[in-house]
Amino acid sequence: MWFENENDTDSDVVPVMAPKQKGGQKPKANTADEVEETFQAVVLADTFETRFEPFTRDKPRCLLPLANTPLIEYTLEFLANAGVEEVFLYGGAHSDQLEKYLNASKWRALSSPFKQLSFLKSTSTSVGDVMRDLDGKHLITGDFIVVSGDVISNLPIEGALAQHRKRRESDKNAIMTMVLREAGLNHRTKSSSVSPVFVIDPTKDRCLHYEEIDHHNNDEQPARLNIDSELILSNLELDIRQDLIDCSIDICTPDVLSLWSDSFDYQSPRKHYLHGVLKDYELNGKTLHTYIIKDHYAARVRNLKAYDAVSKDILARWTYPLCPDTNLLPGHSYDLRKGSLYQEKGVTLARSCVIGRRTVIGKGTSIGDRTEIKNTVLGRNCKVGRNVKLEGAYIWDNVVIGDGVDVRGAIIADGVVLGNNCTVAAGALLSYGVKIADGISIESGKRITRTRIDGTVGKNDPAVVGEGGEGYEFIHGEEEDDDDDDDVSVASSGLVYRMPGLSLSSVSISTLSSDVSDNSWGQSEGSLLSDDEESDNFHHDASISLYDSLREGVAADVVQLELVTLRMTANASDNQVRRAIVEAFMKHIEQLMEGGKGAGPAVNEVFNAYKEVIERTLFDRTKDQKNDQVDLLLLLQQDLVNRNKGDTVLLFTAKSLYELELVEEEAYDQWWNDERSSNTEEMRTVRTQAQQFVDWLADAEEESSEEEDSEEESDEE
Amino acid sequence: MPSTSLALTPGLGSFLQCLKTNPIDTSIETLISLLKRRQIRHSRSCATATACLLRGVITSCRTNDSAKLIERVQNVGRRLMAAQPREMVVGNIVRRVLGLIRDEAEDDREAEFSLSEVGSESQPQTPRAYDDPSLPLDRDSPSLRDDRTPRPPLTSMFSLLSQPEPENSLPSTPGSQSPGGRLFSHGSTKDVRSEVIEGIKEIIDELGQVDDQIAAYALDHIHSNEIILTHTSSTTVQKFLLKAAAKRKFTVIHAESFPNNHDAVHATVSGAAKNEDENLGVEAFQKPLIEHGITVILIPDSAVFAMMSRVNKVILGTHSVLANGGLVAAAGTRIIARAAKVHQTPVVVVSGVYKLSPVYPFDFDSLIEYGDPSKVLAYEDGDLVDQIDVQNPIYDYVPAELVDLYITNLGGHAPSYLYRIVSDHYRKEDISF
Repeated sequence: MWFENENDTDSDVVPVMAPKQKGGQKPKANTADEVEETFQAVVLADTFETRFEPFTRDKPRCLLPLANTPLIEYTLEFLANAGVEEVFLYGGAHSDQLEKYLNASKWRALSSPFKQLSFLKSTSTSVGDVMRDLDGKHLITGDFIVVSGDVISNLPIEGALAQHRKRRESDKNAIMTMVLREAGLNHRTKSSSVSPVFVIDPTKDRCLHYEEIDHHNNDEQPARLNIDSELILSNLELDIRQDLIDCSIDICTPDVLSLWSDSFDYQSPRKHYLHGVLKDYELNGKTLHTYIIKDHYAARVRNLKAYDAVSKDILARWTYPLCPDTNLLPGHSYDLRKGSLYQEKGVTLARSCVIGRRTVIGKGTSIGDRTEIKNTVLGRNCKVGRNVKLEGAYIWDNVVIGDGVDVRGAIIADGVVLGNNCTVAAGALLSYGVKIADGISIESGKRITRTRIDGTVGKNDPAVVGEGGEGYEFIHGEEEDDDDDDDVSVASSGLVYRMPGLSLSSVSISTLSSDVSDNSWGQSEGSLLSDDEESDNFHHDASISLYDSLREGVAADVVQLELVTLRMTANASDNQVRRAIVEAFMKHIEQLMEGGKGAGPAVNEVFNAYKEVIERTLFDRTKDQKNDQVDLLLLLQQDLVNRNKGDTVLLFTAKSLYELELVEEEAYDQWWNDERSSNTEEMRTVRTQAQQFVDWLADAEEESSEEEDSEEESDEE
Repeated sequence: MPSTSLALTPGLGSFLQCLKTNPIDTSIETLISLLKRRQIRHSRSCATATACLLRGVITSCRTNDSAKLIERVQNVGRRLMAAQPREMVVGNIVRRVLGLIRDEAEDDREAEFSLSEVGSESQPQTPRAYDDPSLPLDRDSPSLRDDRTPRPPLTSMFSLLSQPEPENSLPSTPGSQSPGGRLFSHGSTKDVRSEVIEGIKEIIDELGQVDDQIAAYALDHIHSNEIILTHTSSTTVQKFLLKAAAKRKFTVIHAESFPNNHDAVHATVSGAAKNEDENLGVEAFQKPLIEHGITVILIPDSAVFAMMSRVNKVILGTHSVLANGGLVAAAGTRIIARAAKVHQTPVVVVSGVYKLSPVYPFDFDSLIEYGDPSKVLAYEDGDLVDQIDVQNPIYDYVPAELVDLYITNLGGHAPSYLYRIVSDHYRKEDISF
C-alpha cells in the first residue's frame, strides 16, 4: 500500500499495481508533459529553532540520528516516494556539514530519484526569510511541496496533490493545501505544549482560521480561541479541530511565495503566515485548504518529546516501510528479530545479557554480561559494560558505557563516555564528546555539553561531570530561545523546561515536569521577587504581548495602551509592570543582537522608540528618593544576569536611559550603592561594565570627592 | 496535467522506463531503492523487474567470458537480494540467469572440445572431484567436466512427463535439455551473451504466461458442484477458477484476508478490481467469477474453520514456495491450511515455478515480513498506541505437511517432490552465492 492509492492490497499473492502505472504503457507520449512541469520540493533543513540544544551546537538538526538514520533521510525518502524530481534544500546552522553529508549520499548519485538536488545557502534567520529568498531566486516553476527537514511520513502524496490540482483548476485562489494527520485528543506524537487549532469548512476543506493554543501560558485560565463572528455567520458548517498532527507538509503554488514576500514580517509558516493570510482574506482573496488523512503516517520531529514519540513509532513499524530493517542508508544491515528487535550484523552480545523489546542495536556494538536493555536505540560501535541497565534511552554512535551504569530515558550523543556506576536519570541529555567520571549521577533534565555556542570547547565543570570528566552543564537561559520562531515568547522557554519531552519516558512526566519547572523559574526570576500566582499571570501576559509588539514594531502609544489595559485587569503593581517591560525589552534587544546588531545600536533603537512606555512607569521624578528608577535599574540588572552579554547591554542601557532623561544621576548613584545590586556574585559580574559609566557620571557632575557621601546624603534626605 | 504527475510515482512502470533510458548502474540503484521502499512489491512485479534488469546487465557487459558474466550477475544479484531479502523471487530469477550462463558456457566448452579434442589443457584432477561426481562445476577447470555429464543428471520424471509446452520449457527447465541438441545449433564461436539474453527473454515470457499455463490444469482439479475455499485476491487463483468456471459449475467460498488484502478481495469478488496486469500489456480485462454464474460467498477469516466441514478443496495462492515444500503466503493461510488438515480437506497451492525458491527455511521467522500496524489498530487511538505493541505480519509460513498438492506451470507435484523441481531449475553452486 506504500504506493497504492485506492487498493489496500498487501499480500504478495496479488500482483496488483496501482492505476497510475498506466503511464508505463505509453512512455513516449508522457515524457513531453513531464518536462513541462517538474515536480519540485523545498526542504527547510533548519527550522530555526533551538529545541534540540545542546546537540545542535555540533550538528545540524536534520543530521541527528532517529533510530540510527539521520532525520533528513526520512524526509528525502518521503519526497522520493512522492515522485518529486527537483529538491531545493535550505540549510541553516552547520550548513557545511549538511552539504558534505548530502554530497556523499545516494541522493546525489546518478541513481537518485531526484533529477536535481540543490543545496541553497542563505543567511536567513527564519522560515520567512527562506521563503522570501526563494521567491527572489525564481526557481519555482509550478506547484511544489514545502516540508521541513524532519518530516517522517509514508503517505503517498498523490491524493493530496490530485485534490490540490483539481481545486486549483476551478479556483485560482486556492493556493495551498496542508496535509494534516488525524490523531486522537491524546497522542504521544502530538505536540503537547502548543496545540494548533484549525477551523475548517468541511464542505470545501478550507481552512478558515488558525490559532495556536499555548498550554503553558496560563494554567488556570482556560485556553481561548478568537474566532471572527463573521466566520461563524457566513459558514453553515465549521469544524474546530484540535486533534490534528500538523506534519508541515504543504503543497503550494508559486503564489504562496509572493505572499511571503508581501509580508516581510512573517517568520513562521504557521503562527504568522497561515494566521496572517487567513486573517487578511478580505485583502488578498487567497484561500488555504487542508487535506486530512486518516491512514498512513505523518509526523514531524519538532522537539525532543516528538523525537521520543517518533522513535517509538518507527520501532513499532507505524512508519512502515521506513523502518530500521529497510536499511535506508547503504551499509546498514538491520534485521528484524522477534519482539521488535532490530539488530545489525556484527553485534557482540554476552551470553547472559538480556535484550528486551523495541530495541535497535547497530553494528560493532558489544554488550557485556548481565546487562539488560529495553526500549532502547543503540548506535554503532558502542561499548556497553557489565550489569548495565538501559531503558528508554537513545544512545548514538561510539558511546562507551562502563559497568553498572543505569540509564533511563536519556539521550546520549556520539562519543560520550560514561564511567562505571553512573546513573543517568530520565530527560538528561549528554551532548557530543561529554565524559562522565565514575560514580556520578546525572539528575533528570540536566543537559551536559562540551561545546559552547560559538563552537569552541567550554570549560569543564567537575561538579557536574566529576573529576576527570569533560563537559559542563548547559543552561537554557544562557541564550534563551529568541530565535525560536514557532512560538517566540517567554512562555516558550518555560515550555522547554516544563516540557514533558525532557522526561523522555512517560513514567516520569509527572514528577519531572513539576520540579524542573520550579527550577527554571527560580533561576530566571531570581530570589528578589516572590510573586503570587496572579501577578505571575500578569507578568506572562504583559511580557509576551509587549515582546510581540516590539518585534512587530507597533507604535509606542498602542503598546502603552495595551499595557495599561493589562495592568488594570490584573491590578498589577508598578514593580510588576516594570518587570514585564524589562523582560520584554531585554529579550527583544537580545534578539536584535543575535540578528547581527551591536549592543549599542540595538539598545538605542528600542529605547528611543519606546521611551514613553518606560517613562510612564516611573513616578519619582520629583522626589529625592528615586525608588522607581532604582527599581527599574535593579530589574534590568537582574534580568541581564541570565542573558548573553548582559554586562555590555547593561552598560548601554544605562547610558541610553540617561541620555533619554528617563533615569537621573541620583538614581544611578542610589542603584549603585543599593546592596541588592551587589549582593550576589552574578549581580556584581553583570554590573562590572556599568562601573565605567557610573564613574563617568560621577566625574561629569564633578562630585568625584563625594562619591561615597552621596549615599549618606540620600539616606538623610 | 494531473494524470501525468500521477504517472510519475515510482513503481514497476517507471522502472521499466528508466531501464530504457538510463545507464545500467543507475538502473540497478533505482531498482534497489524501489525494492527497499516497497514501491515494487508482489512476486511477479519483482520477478519481472529483476529479469529485465539482468537482461540490461548482460547486454551492457562487453564480454563473452562467462566467468566474468557470472561474477557480474552474482554481484548485482547479491545487492538486489540484500535490498529486500523477503522477496525471494528476486533471488530465484538471479539464480536462473546464473544457471543459464553456466549452461551456455559449458555448451561452449563442449563445442570447443568436440572440435579440438582434449589435449594440452588436461590438469591434474583433484581427488575431491572424483569423490563427488555430482559436484564438478568448478568453472576454472573445464577439463574436469568434459569426461562426465556436463551437469547434474537431472532429467526428472516430472519434467519428462508433464511438460506442457516442450518448446517453451527450454529456459524454465534447463536441466532437461539434451546437450547434444545445443551443440548442434551453434558453432565454436557462439555468442554466450546473446544466448543468455535470449534465455532471459524466455524467462520474462514465462512470467507473462505462467498464470494461463497453471490455469490449463484447472479442469483436472475442479469438478462440478464442488465447494472451493480460497483466500486473498491472487490473480493466479482467480484465473485458475475462471478457467474451470467456463465449463463447470461450483461454489467458491472466499475468505476476505483482513487486514492487508481485504479491499482487494472485495474488489475481486464484486468485479470492481482494476486489471493489475495492465502495464505488462498481457491480459485483457477479466470478468469476475460471479458473471460466469459461479456462487461466490465472501466470509470473514474467522469463519474459515466453521465452513471447512463443507468445503471439498482449498485452493491457495502463495508468496513463495520453499525447497522443503513449505510456503510463505499471505497471513491467514496457515490457519486455513490447519483447518483443512483437521477436516481432511485437500489443500492445493497454485504457484508459478518462478516462486519456487531453493532456499531451505532454517529460520521461519526471518521470512516473515511485518507490516504497518495501523491496519490493525487506528493510529488515532493515542492511548492504546502508547501502551501496546501491535504486530501485523504480512506473511505466514505454512509447513509442507499441511499442503497436499502444488500446481505449477509444469503440472501437479506433491510437496515432497519439490526438491526435484528445484534441482531442475537451479544449479547447485548458485543456491547460496
